[in-house]
Amino acid sequence: MIGKWKNNMRQWLTNQMELPADVVADLPRITMIGHIHIYIENHRGLLLFTDRELRLLLKNGQLLVKGESFSIKTILPEEILLEGKISQVLYLEE
Amino acid sequence: MKNEWMYRVAGNLRIRIVGKGLERLLNEFTRRGIYVWNVRREDENSLTCYMFLRDIHHVRVAMRKSGCKLYVLERRGAPFWLKTSWKNSGIVVGLVAFMCVVFLLSNMIWRIEVTGANPEVEHTVRQQLKKIGVERGALQFVIPTPEAIQRTLMNNMDTITWIGVEWRGTTLYCQVVEKKKPTQTKANAPQHLVAKKKAIITYMFVEQGQAVVEVNDHVVPGQLLVSGFIGKEGQTEIVPARGQILGETWYKSTVAVPLKTTFYMLTGKKRETHYVRFWSWKVPVFWNHKEPFSQFEKQVDEKTFRFLTWTLPIRYEKVVWREKEVAVREYSYEQAKTAAKQIAREQLKRQLPADAIIQGEKVLHETKENGKVKVEMHYQVIENIATPQPIIQGD
Repeated sequence: MIGKWKNNMRQWLTNQMELPADVVADLPRITMIGHIHIYIENHRGLLLFTDRELRLLLKNGQLLVKGESFSIKTILPEEILLEGKISQVLYLEE
Repeated sequence: MKNEWMYRVAGNLRIRIVGKGLERLLNEFTRRGIYVWNVRREDENSLTCYMFLRDIHHVRVAMRKSGCKLYVLERRGAPFWLKTSWKNSGIVVGLVAFMCVVFLLSNMIWRIEVTGANPEVEHTVRQQLKKIGVERGALQFVIPTPEAIQRTLMNNMDTITWIGVEWRGTTLYCQVVEKKKPTQTKANAPQHLVAKKKAIITYMFVEQGQAVVEVNDHVVPGQLLVSGFIGKEGQTEIVPARGQILGETWYKSTVAVPLKTTFYMLTGKKRETHYVRFWSWKVPVFWNHKEPFSQFEKQVDEKTFRFLTWTLPIRYEKVVWREKEVAVREYSYEQAKTAAKQIAREQLKRQLPADAIIQGEKVLHETKENGKVKVEMHYQVIENIATPQPIIQGD
Protein backbone atom coordinates (compact mmCIF):
# COMPACT_ATOMS: atom_id res chain seq x y z
CA MET A 1 0.00 0.00 0.00
CA ILE A 2 2.68 2.48 1.14
CA GLY A 3 5.06 1.26 -1.59
CA LYS A 4 2.48 1.87 -4.25
CA TRP A 5 1.70 5.31 -2.86
CA LYS A 6 5.45 6.12 -2.87
CA ASN A 7 5.76 5.06 -6.46
CA ASN A 8 2.81 7.23 -7.49
CA MET A 9 4.35 10.12 -5.62
CA ARG A 10 7.60 9.71 -7.47
CA GLN A 11 5.91 9.53 -10.79
CA TRP A 12 3.97 12.66 -10.02
CA LEU A 13 7.15 14.47 -8.97
CA THR A 14 8.93 13.49 -12.12
CA ASN A 15 6.11 14.71 -14.25
CA GLN A 16 5.54 17.91 -12.37
CA MET A 17 9.08 19.04 -11.75
CA GLU A 18 10.62 17.81 -14.93
CA LEU A 19 13.35 15.97 -13.05
CA PRO A 20 15.18 13.16 -14.77
CA ALA A 21 13.58 9.86 -13.96
CA ASP A 22 16.83 8.15 -12.88
CA VAL A 23 17.48 10.74 -10.20
CA VAL A 24 14.08 10.60 -8.69
CA ALA A 25 13.12 7.00 -9.21
CA ASP A 26 16.51 5.36 -8.64
CA LEU A 27 16.39 3.76 -12.04
CA PRO A 28 19.43 2.70 -14.03
CA ARG A 29 20.65 5.10 -16.71
CA ILE A 30 21.91 3.23 -19.71
CA THR A 31 23.96 4.85 -22.39
CA MET A 32 24.87 3.00 -25.56
CA ILE A 33 27.27 4.02 -28.20
CA GLY A 34 26.27 2.10 -31.29
CA HIS A 35 26.57 -1.52 -30.44
CA ILE A 36 30.10 -1.36 -29.18
CA HIS A 37 29.78 0.35 -25.80
CA ILE A 38 27.19 0.20 -23.11
CA TYR A 39 27.43 2.28 -20.00
CA ILE A 40 25.15 1.45 -17.13
CA GLU A 41 24.82 3.64 -14.08
CA ASN A 42 22.95 2.82 -10.91
CA HIS A 43 23.30 -0.93 -10.97
CA ARG A 44 23.37 -3.03 -7.85
CA GLY A 45 26.07 -5.53 -8.61
CA LEU A 46 27.33 -8.02 -11.09
CA LEU A 47 25.52 -11.31 -11.33
CA LEU A 48 27.07 -12.97 -14.34
CA PHE A 49 29.80 -12.08 -16.70
CA THR A 50 30.99 -14.13 -19.65
CA ASP A 51 32.23 -13.04 -23.04
CA ARG A 52 28.71 -13.35 -24.51
CA GLU A 53 26.57 -12.31 -21.59
CA LEU A 54 26.37 -9.78 -18.80
CA ARG A 55 23.78 -9.89 -16.08
CA LEU A 56 23.40 -7.01 -13.68
CA LEU A 57 21.29 -6.66 -10.60
CA LEU A 58 19.06 -3.63 -10.57
CA LYS A 59 16.82 -2.19 -7.92
CA ASN A 60 13.86 -3.84 -9.56
CA GLY A 61 14.79 -6.84 -11.53
CA GLN A 62 17.80 -7.55 -13.66
CA LEU A 63 19.43 -6.28 -16.83
CA LEU A 64 20.69 -8.78 -19.36
CA VAL A 65 23.09 -7.76 -22.11
CA LYS A 66 23.89 -10.24 -24.84
CA GLY A 67 26.47 -10.11 -27.56
CA GLU A 68 30.00 -11.20 -28.38
CA SER A 69 33.54 -10.71 -27.08
CA PHE A 70 32.62 -8.73 -24.02
CA SER A 71 35.09 -7.10 -21.76
CA ILE A 72 34.48 -4.83 -18.80
CA LYS A 73 36.38 -1.62 -19.38
CA THR A 74 35.53 -0.15 -16.03
CA ILE A 75 33.68 -1.40 -13.03
CA LEU A 76 32.79 0.81 -10.11
CA PRO A 77 30.23 0.24 -7.31
CA GLU A 78 27.38 1.80 -9.30
CA GLU A 79 28.76 2.09 -12.80
CA ILE A 80 29.92 -0.33 -15.42
CA LEU A 81 31.27 0.20 -18.88
CA LEU A 82 31.08 -2.79 -21.17
CA GLU A 83 32.77 -3.12 -24.50
CA GLY A 84 32.04 -5.67 -27.19
CA LYS A 85 29.54 -6.42 -29.88
CA ILE A 86 26.17 -5.93 -28.26
CA SER A 87 23.15 -7.54 -29.85
CA GLN A 88 20.45 -7.42 -27.16
CA VAL A 89 19.61 -5.56 -24.01
CA LEU A 90 16.87 -7.18 -22.00
CA TYR A 91 14.99 -6.22 -18.84
CA LEU A 92 14.05 -9.08 -16.63
CA GLU A 93 11.26 -8.23 -14.22
CA GLU A 94 11.18 -10.01 -10.91
CA MET B 1 38.75 9.41 -16.04
CA LYS B 2 42.15 7.96 -15.50
CA ASN B 3 44.21 7.94 -18.60
CA GLU B 4 46.78 5.57 -19.93
CA TRP B 5 49.64 7.77 -18.81
CA MET B 6 48.58 7.46 -15.23
CA TYR B 7 48.40 3.71 -15.46
CA ARG B 8 51.95 3.69 -16.68
CA VAL B 9 53.36 5.85 -13.94
CA ALA B 10 51.57 4.06 -11.13
CA GLY B 11 52.52 0.63 -12.35
CA ASN B 12 49.93 -1.98 -13.15
CA LEU B 13 49.55 -5.68 -13.35
CA ARG B 14 47.75 -8.00 -15.68
CA ILE B 15 46.37 -10.79 -13.58
CA ARG B 16 44.41 -13.98 -14.03
CA ILE B 17 41.97 -15.10 -11.40
CA VAL B 18 40.99 -18.74 -11.38
CA GLY B 19 38.19 -20.15 -9.29
CA LYS B 20 34.48 -20.13 -8.72
CA GLY B 21 32.27 -17.13 -8.05
CA LEU B 22 34.26 -14.65 -10.06
CA GLU B 23 31.34 -12.22 -10.33
CA ARG B 24 31.06 -12.13 -6.58
CA LEU B 25 34.72 -11.38 -6.38
CA LEU B 26 34.40 -8.49 -8.81
CA ASN B 27 31.56 -7.06 -6.71
CA GLU B 28 33.77 -7.44 -3.67
CA PHE B 29 36.54 -5.51 -5.42
CA THR B 30 34.28 -2.63 -6.29
CA ARG B 31 32.95 -2.52 -2.78
CA ARG B 32 36.47 -2.24 -1.42
CA GLY B 33 37.38 0.44 -3.92
CA ILE B 34 39.79 -1.70 -5.88
CA TYR B 35 39.87 -0.45 -9.39
CA VAL B 36 40.11 -3.06 -12.15
CA TRP B 37 39.76 -2.64 -15.87
CA ASN B 38 39.70 -4.58 -19.12
CA VAL B 39 38.06 -7.53 -17.47
CA ARG B 40 37.77 -10.43 -19.87
CA ARG B 41 36.28 -13.81 -19.26
CA GLU B 42 38.53 -16.61 -20.44
CA ASP B 43 36.43 -19.58 -19.58
CA GLU B 44 33.98 -20.60 -16.90
CA ASN B 45 36.52 -20.54 -14.13
CA SER B 46 38.95 -17.84 -15.07
CA LEU B 47 39.15 -14.21 -16.07
CA THR B 48 41.92 -11.75 -16.76
CA CYS B 49 42.00 -8.10 -15.86
CA TYR B 50 44.31 -5.23 -15.08
CA MET B 51 44.84 -3.62 -11.72
CA PHE B 52 47.10 -1.15 -10.03
CA LEU B 53 50.21 -2.37 -8.38
CA ARG B 54 49.39 -0.44 -5.20
CA ASP B 55 46.11 -2.40 -4.80
CA ILE B 56 47.74 -5.80 -4.76
CA HIS B 57 47.60 -6.05 -1.00
CA HIS B 58 43.88 -5.21 -0.89
CA VAL B 59 43.24 -7.72 -3.65
CA ARG B 60 44.85 -10.46 -1.64
CA VAL B 61 42.77 -9.52 1.40
CA ALA B 62 39.57 -9.42 -0.70
CA MET B 63 40.33 -12.83 -2.18
CA ARG B 64 41.07 -14.52 1.09
CA LYS B 65 37.69 -16.20 1.52
CA SER B 66 36.75 -16.64 -2.12
CA GLY B 67 38.89 -19.71 -2.73
CA CYS B 68 40.17 -18.24 -6.00
CA LYS B 69 43.77 -18.12 -7.08
CA LEU B 70 45.58 -15.16 -8.53
CA TYR B 71 48.33 -15.31 -11.13
CA VAL B 72 50.30 -12.31 -12.27
CA LEU B 73 50.70 -12.42 -16.04
CA GLU B 74 52.38 -9.14 -16.81
CA ARG B 75 54.01 -6.29 -14.97
CA ARG B 76 53.97 -2.87 -16.57
CA GLY B 77 54.71 0.73 -15.67
CA ALA B 78 57.36 2.89 -14.11
CA PRO B 79 58.11 0.92 -10.94
CA PHE B 80 58.93 -2.20 -12.92
CA TRP B 81 60.77 -0.23 -15.53
CA LEU B 82 62.90 1.34 -12.82
CA LYS B 83 63.59 -2.04 -11.34
CA THR B 84 64.79 -3.48 -14.64
CA SER B 85 66.83 -0.36 -15.37
CA TRP B 86 68.48 -0.73 -12.01
CA LYS B 87 69.33 -4.30 -12.93
CA ASN B 88 70.74 -3.18 -16.28
CA SER B 89 72.45 -0.13 -14.89
CA GLY B 90 75.77 -1.93 -14.72
CA ILE B 91 75.94 -2.01 -18.49
CA VAL B 92 75.01 1.65 -18.74
CA VAL B 93 77.56 2.65 -16.14
CA GLY B 94 80.17 0.60 -17.91
CA LEU B 95 79.31 2.17 -21.23
CA VAL B 96 79.48 5.68 -19.82
CA ALA B 97 82.77 4.93 -18.11
CA PHE B 98 84.12 3.53 -21.34
CA MET B 99 83.06 6.64 -23.23
CA CYS B 100 84.71 8.79 -20.60
CA VAL B 101 87.93 6.86 -20.86
CA VAL B 102 87.92 7.03 -24.64
CA PHE B 103 87.14 10.74 -24.42
CA LEU B 104 90.03 11.37 -22.06
CA LEU B 105 92.41 9.29 -24.12
CA SER B 106 91.32 11.11 -27.26
CA ASN B 107 92.25 14.40 -25.67
CA MET B 108 95.67 13.36 -24.47
CA ILE B 109 99.02 14.02 -26.00
CA TRP B 110 100.40 10.79 -27.27
CA ARG B 111 103.34 11.98 -29.24
CA ILE B 112 105.47 15.05 -29.48
CA GLU B 113 107.21 15.28 -32.80
CA VAL B 114 110.10 17.67 -33.12
CA THR B 115 111.41 18.22 -36.61
CA GLY B 116 114.15 20.37 -38.00
CA ALA B 117 116.35 20.27 -34.93
CA ASN B 118 119.49 18.42 -34.15
CA PRO B 119 119.32 16.02 -31.21
CA GLU B 120 120.71 18.53 -28.78
CA VAL B 121 118.23 21.25 -29.62
CA GLU B 122 115.46 18.69 -29.75
CA HIS B 123 116.31 17.61 -26.25
CA THR B 124 116.12 21.17 -24.94
CA VAL B 125 112.87 21.73 -26.78
CA ARG B 126 111.41 18.67 -25.12
CA GLN B 127 112.65 19.76 -21.75
CA GLN B 128 111.16 23.20 -22.19
CA LEU B 129 107.89 21.63 -23.20
CA LYS B 130 107.94 19.45 -20.12
CA LYS B 131 108.52 22.47 -17.95
CA ILE B 132 105.27 24.03 -19.09
CA GLY B 133 103.47 20.74 -18.66
CA VAL B 134 103.44 19.55 -22.23
CA GLU B 135 104.40 15.92 -22.19
CA ARG B 136 102.99 12.58 -23.11
CA GLY B 137 99.83 11.86 -21.17
CA ALA B 138 98.95 15.49 -20.54
CA LEU B 139 95.40 16.47 -21.29
CA GLN B 140 94.99 18.84 -24.15
CA PHE B 141 92.57 21.14 -22.42
CA VAL B 142 94.89 21.67 -19.49
CA ILE B 143 97.95 22.74 -21.41
CA PRO B 144 98.34 26.14 -23.06
CA THR B 145 97.34 26.82 -26.62
CA PRO B 146 99.83 26.16 -29.44
CA GLU B 147 100.34 29.89 -29.84
CA ALA B 148 101.22 30.24 -26.18
CA ILE B 149 103.60 27.27 -26.34
CA GLN B 150 105.19 28.80 -29.38
CA ARG B 151 105.66 32.12 -27.64
CA THR B 152 107.11 30.57 -24.49
CA LEU B 153 109.56 28.42 -26.37
CA MET B 154 110.74 31.23 -28.58
CA ASN B 155 111.27 33.47 -25.57
CA ASN B 156 113.04 30.87 -23.49
CA MET B 157 115.38 29.38 -26.05
CA ASP B 158 118.09 31.30 -27.77
CA THR B 159 119.22 28.44 -29.95
CA ILE B 160 116.17 28.58 -32.13
CA THR B 161 115.04 31.24 -34.51
CA TRP B 162 111.50 30.12 -34.84
CA ILE B 163 109.28 27.29 -33.74
CA GLY B 164 105.95 26.30 -35.16
CA VAL B 165 103.62 24.36 -32.90
CA GLU B 166 100.61 22.59 -34.26
CA TRP B 167 98.08 20.06 -33.13
CA ARG B 168 97.22 17.18 -35.31
CA GLY B 169 95.02 14.70 -33.52
CA THR B 170 96.86 13.49 -30.49
CA THR B 171 100.25 14.52 -31.78
CA LEU B 172 101.95 17.82 -31.18
CA TYR B 173 104.17 18.80 -34.05
CA CYS B 174 107.00 21.21 -33.38
CA GLN B 175 108.77 22.54 -36.40
CA VAL B 176 112.04 24.07 -35.33
CA VAL B 177 114.24 26.44 -37.24
CA GLU B 178 117.62 26.52 -35.61
CA LYS B 179 119.71 29.58 -35.36
CA LYS B 180 122.60 29.35 -37.77
CA LYS B 181 125.82 30.31 -36.15
CA PRO B 182 127.94 32.31 -38.53
CA THR B 183 130.40 29.95 -40.07
CA GLN B 184 133.90 30.82 -39.10
CA THR B 185 135.92 31.80 -42.09
CA LYS B 186 138.72 29.47 -42.51
CA ALA B 187 141.67 31.15 -40.93
CA ASN B 188 144.13 29.89 -43.40
CA ALA B 189 142.36 30.90 -46.57
CA PRO B 190 144.29 33.81 -48.01
CA GLN B 191 142.46 37.07 -47.58
CA HIS B 192 142.70 40.82 -47.46
CA LEU B 193 140.99 43.07 -45.02
CA VAL B 194 139.01 45.87 -46.62
CA ALA B 195 136.92 48.69 -45.22
CA LYS B 196 133.18 48.25 -45.16
CA LYS B 197 132.33 51.83 -44.33
CA LYS B 198 133.52 55.35 -44.77
CA ALA B 199 135.58 56.04 -41.66
CA ILE B 200 138.65 57.54 -40.07
CA ILE B 201 140.90 54.92 -38.60
CA THR B 202 141.45 55.35 -34.90
CA TYR B 203 143.16 52.13 -33.92
CA MET B 204 144.95 49.38 -35.76
CA PHE B 205 146.18 46.05 -34.62
CA VAL B 206 147.43 43.81 -37.34
CA GLU B 207 148.00 40.19 -36.44
CA GLN B 208 149.03 39.06 -39.82
CA GLY B 209 149.44 40.81 -43.12
CA GLN B 210 150.76 44.06 -44.40
CA ALA B 211 149.04 47.23 -43.21
CA VAL B 212 148.33 49.57 -46.09
CA VAL B 213 146.72 52.43 -44.18
CA GLU B 214 147.58 54.24 -40.98
CA VAL B 215 145.77 55.65 -38.01
CA ASN B 216 143.91 58.87 -38.87
CA ASP B 217 143.63 57.87 -42.50
CA HIS B 218 140.29 58.41 -44.15
CA VAL B 219 139.02 55.32 -45.88
CA VAL B 220 136.14 54.63 -48.21
CA PRO B 221 134.14 51.40 -48.50
CA GLY B 222 136.08 48.69 -50.27
CA GLN B 223 139.43 50.27 -49.65
CA LEU B 224 142.22 47.85 -48.85
CA LEU B 225 143.27 48.07 -45.22
CA VAL B 226 145.50 45.13 -44.62
CA SER B 227 146.98 43.26 -47.54
CA GLY B 228 147.40 39.53 -47.62
CA PHE B 229 150.58 39.83 -49.64
CA ILE B 230 153.66 40.04 -47.49
CA GLY B 231 157.37 40.00 -48.11
CA LYS B 232 159.64 41.76 -50.47
CA GLU B 233 158.78 42.23 -54.01
CA GLY B 234 159.56 39.22 -56.02
CA GLN B 235 159.27 36.84 -53.09
CA THR B 236 155.78 37.68 -51.92
CA GLU B 237 153.81 35.27 -49.80
CA ILE B 238 150.09 35.12 -49.58
CA VAL B 239 148.67 34.96 -46.07
CA PRO B 240 145.29 35.42 -44.50
CA ALA B 241 145.32 38.97 -43.22
CA ARG B 242 143.97 39.29 -39.72
CA GLY B 243 143.62 42.09 -37.26
CA GLN B 244 141.38 44.62 -35.65
CA ILE B 245 140.87 47.91 -37.39
CA LEU B 246 138.66 50.34 -35.53
CA GLY B 247 137.41 53.43 -37.22
CA GLU B 248 135.30 56.40 -36.45
CA THR B 249 132.10 56.32 -38.44
CA TRP B 250 129.23 58.74 -38.61
CA TYR B 251 125.55 58.26 -38.44
CA LYS B 252 122.74 60.70 -38.88
CA SER B 253 119.25 60.14 -37.76
CA THR B 254 116.10 62.15 -37.54
CA VAL B 255 113.44 61.54 -34.95
CA ALA B 256 110.17 63.30 -34.57
CA VAL B 257 108.36 63.19 -31.24
CA PRO B 258 104.86 64.57 -30.90
CA LEU B 259 104.34 66.84 -27.91
CA LYS B 260 100.96 65.36 -27.22
CA THR B 261 100.37 61.65 -27.60
CA THR B 262 97.17 59.77 -27.10
CA PHE B 263 97.45 56.10 -26.42
CA TYR B 264 95.59 53.33 -24.73
CA MET B 265 96.59 51.87 -21.45
CA LEU B 266 95.23 48.75 -19.85
CA THR B 267 93.90 49.49 -16.43
CA GLY B 268 94.35 45.95 -15.17
CA LYS B 269 90.64 45.46 -14.67
CA LYS B 270 89.21 42.59 -16.56
CA ARG B 271 86.11 40.52 -16.76
CA GLU B 272 85.78 37.02 -18.05
CA THR B 273 83.00 34.94 -19.41
CA HIS B 274 83.26 31.24 -19.89
CA TYR B 275 81.10 29.80 -22.58
CA VAL B 276 80.22 26.32 -23.65
CA ARG B 277 79.51 26.28 -27.33
CA PHE B 278 77.10 23.80 -28.82
CA TRP B 279 77.36 24.07 -32.56
CA SER B 280 76.72 27.72 -33.12
CA TRP B 281 75.06 28.69 -29.89
CA LYS B 282 76.99 29.87 -26.96
CA VAL B 283 75.85 29.21 -23.44
CA PRO B 284 77.56 31.28 -20.79
CA VAL B 285 78.34 29.10 -17.80
CA PHE B 286 80.34 31.38 -15.61
CA TRP B 287 80.93 35.09 -15.63
CA ASN B 288 82.02 37.86 -13.34
CA HIS B 289 80.40 40.77 -15.07
CA LYS B 290 79.61 43.91 -13.31
CA GLU B 291 79.11 46.43 -16.03
CA PRO B 292 80.66 46.37 -19.47
CA PHE B 293 83.71 48.48 -20.06
CA SER B 294 83.41 51.35 -22.46
CA GLN B 295 86.77 50.58 -24.00
CA PHE B 296 88.38 47.22 -23.93
CA GLU B 297 90.60 44.65 -25.54
CA LYS B 298 88.88 41.39 -26.24
CA GLN B 299 90.67 38.09 -26.11
CA VAL B 300 89.09 34.81 -27.05
CA ASP B 301 90.50 31.45 -26.03
CA GLU B 302 88.93 28.38 -27.47
CA LYS B 303 89.38 24.76 -26.53
CA THR B 304 88.03 21.95 -28.62
CA PHE B 305 87.35 18.44 -27.54
CA ARG B 306 87.95 15.37 -29.55
CA PHE B 307 86.40 11.99 -29.52
CA LEU B 308 88.49 9.41 -31.31
CA THR B 309 89.09 11.07 -34.65
CA TRP B 310 86.20 13.51 -34.53
CA THR B 311 86.21 16.97 -33.16
CA LEU B 312 83.16 17.38 -31.02
CA PRO B 313 80.81 20.26 -31.79
CA ILE B 314 80.96 21.14 -28.11
CA ARG B 315 83.60 23.66 -27.36
CA TYR B 316 84.78 25.66 -24.43
CA GLU B 317 85.40 29.31 -24.95
CA LYS B 318 86.85 31.86 -22.62
CA VAL B 319 86.44 35.50 -23.45
CA VAL B 320 88.39 38.07 -21.51
CA TRP B 321 87.70 41.76 -21.74
CA ARG B 322 90.43 43.96 -20.45
CA GLU B 323 89.52 47.52 -19.75
CA LYS B 324 91.64 50.15 -21.41
CA GLU B 325 91.87 53.77 -20.85
CA VAL B 326 92.88 56.69 -22.96
CA ALA B 327 96.02 58.25 -21.62
CA VAL B 328 97.34 61.54 -22.88
CA ARG B 329 101.01 62.21 -22.55
CA GLU B 330 102.18 65.76 -22.89
CA TYR B 331 105.80 66.70 -23.20
CA SER B 332 107.34 70.09 -22.72
CA TYR B 333 109.71 71.10 -25.46
CA GLU B 334 112.74 70.02 -23.44
CA GLN B 335 111.23 66.70 -22.47
CA ALA B 336 110.34 65.99 -26.06
CA LYS B 337 113.87 66.73 -27.09
CA THR B 338 115.30 64.39 -24.48
CA ALA B 339 112.88 61.69 -25.51
CA ALA B 340 113.77 62.14 -29.15
CA LYS B 341 117.46 61.86 -28.35
CA GLN B 342 116.89 58.72 -26.39
CA ILE B 343 114.84 57.18 -29.15
CA ALA B 344 117.45 58.05 -31.72
CA ARG B 345 120.19 56.53 -29.62
CA GLU B 346 118.23 53.33 -29.10
CA GLN B 347 117.48 53.09 -32.77
CA LEU B 348 121.15 53.48 -33.58
CA LYS B 349 122.23 50.92 -30.99
CA ARG B 350 119.92 48.43 -32.48
CA GLN B 351 121.51 48.68 -35.87
CA LEU B 352 125.11 48.67 -34.64
CA PRO B 353 127.08 45.55 -33.75
CA ALA B 354 127.39 44.85 -30.07
CA ASP B 355 131.01 45.90 -29.73
CA ALA B 356 130.55 49.34 -31.26
CA ILE B 357 130.86 52.36 -29.00
CA ILE B 358 128.95 55.58 -29.44
CA GLN B 359 131.56 58.15 -28.81
CA GLY B 360 129.75 61.35 -29.26
CA GLU B 361 126.46 62.83 -30.27
CA LYS B 362 125.49 66.21 -31.52
CA VAL B 363 122.21 67.85 -32.25
CA LEU B 364 122.39 69.12 -35.74
CA HIS B 365 119.04 70.64 -36.05
CA GLU B 366 115.86 70.89 -34.06
CA THR B 367 112.49 72.24 -35.08
CA LYS B 368 109.03 72.41 -33.71
CA GLU B 369 106.32 72.03 -36.23
CA ASN B 370 102.75 70.72 -36.27
CA GLY B 371 102.97 69.92 -32.59
CA LYS B 372 106.02 67.74 -33.11
CA VAL B 373 109.59 68.19 -32.12
CA LYS B 374 111.90 67.07 -34.85
CA VAL B 375 115.50 66.44 -33.88
CA GLU B 376 118.28 65.63 -36.25
CA MET B 377 121.18 63.90 -34.57
CA HIS B 378 124.68 63.16 -35.53
CA TYR B 379 126.65 60.36 -33.93
CA GLN B 380 130.27 59.45 -33.89
CA VAL B 381 130.76 55.75 -33.47
CA ILE B 382 133.88 53.69 -33.02
CA GLU B 383 133.45 50.29 -34.62
CA ASN B 384 135.26 47.56 -36.41
CA ILE B 385 135.37 48.51 -40.04
CA ALA B 386 137.43 45.66 -41.41
CA THR B 387 135.83 42.87 -43.38
CA PRO B 388 137.67 39.97 -44.94
CA GLN B 389 137.97 39.69 -48.68
CA PRO B 390 139.25 36.41 -49.99
CA ILE B 391 142.15 36.47 -52.40
CA ILE B 392 141.23 34.51 -55.41
CA GLN B 393 144.32 33.16 -56.97
CA GLY B 394 144.35 32.79 -60.67
CA ASP B 395 145.82 29.63 -62.05
